[in-house]
Amino acid sequence: MSSHAATIDHHHDATTSTGIPNKKLLWWAFLASDCMFFGALISTHLVYRLNPPPGNAIPTQVFNIELTSFSTFILLMSSLLMALAVNAIQKGNIRSTRTMLLGTMFFGCIFLGGQVYEFAHFVAVKKMTLSNSIFGSTFYTLTGTHGTHVAIGVLLLGMMYVRTFKPAHGESGLLRNFAHLAAVCTVMAVSFIWLVPSGIEAIYGAPVGELLSHHAVPFGIGAVALAVVFWFARSGGEVEFGEKNAIDVEAIGLYWHFVDIVWIIIFTAVYLLEYL
Amino acid sequence: MSAPATTADAGHHEPSKFHFYIAIAMILSVITGVEVVLVYLPIAKWFVVTALVVLSAVKFMFVIFFFMHLRWDKVFCTILFFIGLVLAGGTMWALLHLFGADAGKPLSAAALDFARLTVG
Repeated sequence: MSSHAATIDHHHDATTSTGIPNKKLLWWAFLASDCMFFGALISTHLVYRLNPPPGNAIPTQVFNIELTSFSTFILLMSSLLMALAVNAIQKGNIRSTRTMLLGTMFFGCIFLGGQVYEFAHFVAVKKMTLSNSIFGSTFYTLTGTHGTHVAIGVLLLGMMYVRTFKPAHGESGLLRNFAHLAAVCTVMAVSFIWLVPSGIEAIYGAPVGELLSHHAVPFGIGAVALAVVFWFARSGGEVEFGEKNAIDVEAIGLYWHFVDIVWIIIFTAVYLLEYL
Repeated sequence: MSAPATTADAGHHEPSKFHFYIAIAMILSVITGVEVVLVYLPIAKWFVVTALVVLSAVKFMFVIFFFMHLRWDKVFCTILFFIGLVLAGGTMWALLHLFGADAGKPLSAAALDFARLTVG
């Protein structure tokens, strides 16, 4: 872990004309533009909900509010872990930063897994597809775009996690970094595509043994990838990553918290208001 | 990127916000629980809608000002983000009003059939 003799001001940067670190300014500008993007998607959904065309799906017969409430709680807790990751790196605590980044990624995968289960259930059981009703079109476009943002966030966090292992002296090697990132991404992909949806199915009464045997290959690949992640994470020498990189972690954190605030709006506007 | 500014007092970190963040997360969880319970309570619809909007706004503000550090950052970051937020809100308001007008509403099944027959 790198150490610093002087205190770093994590909120201001005297060397820029605005006094704000450039990376932070760039992310805030991007998030402001993303507000307009989601604003358009949310309003499109609401326009068709307020004036439903004939043959539209009935949302309360489709939604599973218990699962969505749980997903909302998980995403809020992932935001907490992300804030703690930034707090840890601002104090130069690399070990805690890595733990919190992994926790944030895993909670993000639980959220995505809930969405995978929800979409599969809506299509297979509730017969609501992307094209057979306006409600399906606007709902899948809005929540799917948000889910894509979460998945991109998980990928960015994975890249940041791998970056924390860069040695202080010499190069770690492109192939090694790529293998490390591939292992992290494989664990996360197996988590949200198979593990979490299977776990939800098990909670709703599906036989666990049948689920395990049905998804034996992806679970096996995930277990091997997890072992590789642990192998790469074994304690090594001094790393380059430290308190000076707090702005990098904070920048990814801004994006992560943004997907959380978008979900706060979607949860109320798309789900809760339907139950009135 | 330019290097972060440093000050002369050596060996001191920013005070830990660990317990503060935990407290914020607990408040957000409680608000979410209240929101879910509210929609099942037999109370006036206008009150529930207002309460949901206010509670969501409170959660939104808690996240951007504390988790996203706007509270401690320069005010320009807040202004920049709120420009996007106001434009997004304005677009939503305009779209909802435009499509809320009678001419913007979709035709019923019977009216649609009649329109197809008469227009050809």
